[in-house]
Amino acid sequence: MRTWLMNRRHDPERNAAEYVSGELTARARRWFERHILECDDCWREVLLGRFGRRMAEDAREPVPPGLRDRVRAAISLSAD
Amino acid sequence: MPQREEHEEFLHATMGAMDLVYNLARRFTNRSEDTEDLVQETYLAAYRAWKEQRRPRRVEPWIGTICLNLGRSRYRTRTRRPVEVSIEDRDFRAPEIGDPEAAAEAAMDRQALYEAMERLPEEQRVAITLVDLGGLSTAEAACAMGTPRGTVLSRLHRGRRGLAALLWAEVRGVEER
Repeated sequence: MRTWLMNRRHDPERNAAEYVSGELTARARRWFERHILECDDCWREVLLGRFGRRMAEDAREPVPPGLRDRVRAAISLSAD
Repeated sequence: MPQREEHEEFLHATMGAMDLVYNLARRFTNRSEDTEDLVQETYLAAYRAWKEQRRPRRVEPWIGTICLNLGRSRYRTRTRRPVEVSIEDRDFRAPEIGDPEAAAEAAMDRQALYEAMERLPEEQRVAITLVDLGGLSTAEAACAMGTPRGTVLSRLHRGRRGLAALLWAEVRGVEER
């Protein structure tokens, strides 16, 4: 599994982005989770990435009341 | 297919993506009227494509791409936005507080969060919106943004890191006041 990291540049940003996004394969994820225990750079990027992702999710703005109806009406009009 | 049926089918397939479209539209517009106009334009453009039998395999990346293209061409508002800050030289050391996440959450309000998001460079905001808010994979976001996946990963991570930095700066500011 070490080849997963050896075959690519040691890139804490990219690794953390893939890990935090849940896009590593199960094997790569297990390897990376062991790796971050020894690599301060990757560990720091994972912490920042996780925190930033949580903040990003909290920045979701609700669709204003009435907008769905407005869009439905516009589609209905254009369908006629 | 009768027009009525087609239009119902379109609405059924796409209304669930409005949350993504709305938040994506917010990345290009400051005024709520403009945001709502962009959402409506996106849906009308998507409906025209739908009627021409251009049906997507997954609605979210498809309608997200339409919104992105319209937003970029019509509502680019760089001049009206707060000055974007470079996050490359910011201090990313963990703050000297016991639980930075809890402290951050306690100290900031939602407005601070929106403002932090606004201060990120546009491409980072878009990557975050597509992936973290819209649930697209980074490959789908790359397709929508017309960039390699590696670029999306980089924008995504820098955007997340930037949000973390801006909000920690906010917390430090609150503590100092």
